[in-house]
Amino acid sequence: MDGVAQLQKQLVDFTDSLFQEGFLDEQFNQLQQLQDESNPDFVVEVVSLFFEDSERLLNELAKALEQKTIDFRKVDAHVHQFKGSSSSIGAQRVQKVCIAFRNYCEEQNIEGVKPWHRCLKCLQQVKLEYSLVKNKLETLFKIEKQLIAAGGSIPT
Amino acid sequence: MASDTDYDSDGMRGNGDGGLSEGNGRRRKHPFMTWRNNLRALVVDNARTCRIMESGLLDAYGVEVEAVGTGEAAVELIASGETFDLIVLEMFLPFMSGPETARTIREMGISCKILGIAPMYCEKDAQEFLAAGIDEFLEKPFTPELFIPFLMEIDNQK
Repeated sequence: MDGVAQLQKQLVDFTDSLFQEGFLDEQFNQLQQLQDESNPDFVVEVVSLFFEDSERLLNELAKALEQKTIDFRKVDAHVHQFKGSSSSIGAQRVQKVCIAFRNYCEEQNIEGVKPWHRCLKCLQQVKLEYSLVKNKLETLFKIEKQLIAAGGSIPT
Repeated sequence: MASDTDYDSDGMRGNGDGGLSEGNGRRRKHPFMTWRNNLRALVVDNARTCRIMESGLLDAYGVEVEAVGTGEAAVELIASGETFDLIVLEMFLPFMSGPETARTIREMGISCKILGIAPMYCEKDAQEFLAAGIDEFLEKPFTPELFIPFLMEIDNQK
């Protein structure tokens, strides 16, 4: 197998694994379909914006949970927005932990459970899933770059 | 429940995210679908990744799109005489909320289809948004599967 074919196979296999492992869903396919000759870097650009917005949201969330009196409405709003933006690019596992996070935050009256403690655990989960998908996508883009540099084209 | 951490909610059209198509007049050369009529949509969403995807997908499916980040900007656009066949309106906007925006638009006499969207489906939110004048409440992501039937309905009725 020559270099280009090998890289193409690597790309296809890696992309398939991201879907199989639930990191990405159908919405990511929609995103890829929006890339064309007039928008050749669309996917990387949109995902980069997603990374920027996500990091800002995660910082805001961490700050909100550090307050003496936690404003759960604010926490909820941030998580809500994160669920929205992660769903827009197909980051499925991030979406799922956002949904779980919201559910926990809503259960503020459970006896014996400190909501902020649960929220902190949820935040850890969200941070973890976000860093996982970020890593995966950065790897994906790296392989694509190598493929193009080798003279190949991204299989559709 | 508007987030007061606003991402691109300055209300400017497009916000110029490095050339990313947010509609705003730019048309895709080979759309995935064509329509009998010229269809125009207004996307109102302060979350920029969402706004770019919503605009990008509508554009890809042959719709002329304008995109703004606030309810105020949407109202201003409509007040200036711009007409739309479809409005896609996020519920949790930072200043004027989605429901407030919908109410204002309806009070201006606009009768086009308004699709309310939100990150998560919630019965209470849906009731509130529908009462404010939207036609349907949809959970994000805003996919072609969701919007194509509405475009078909609009195109057939024009």
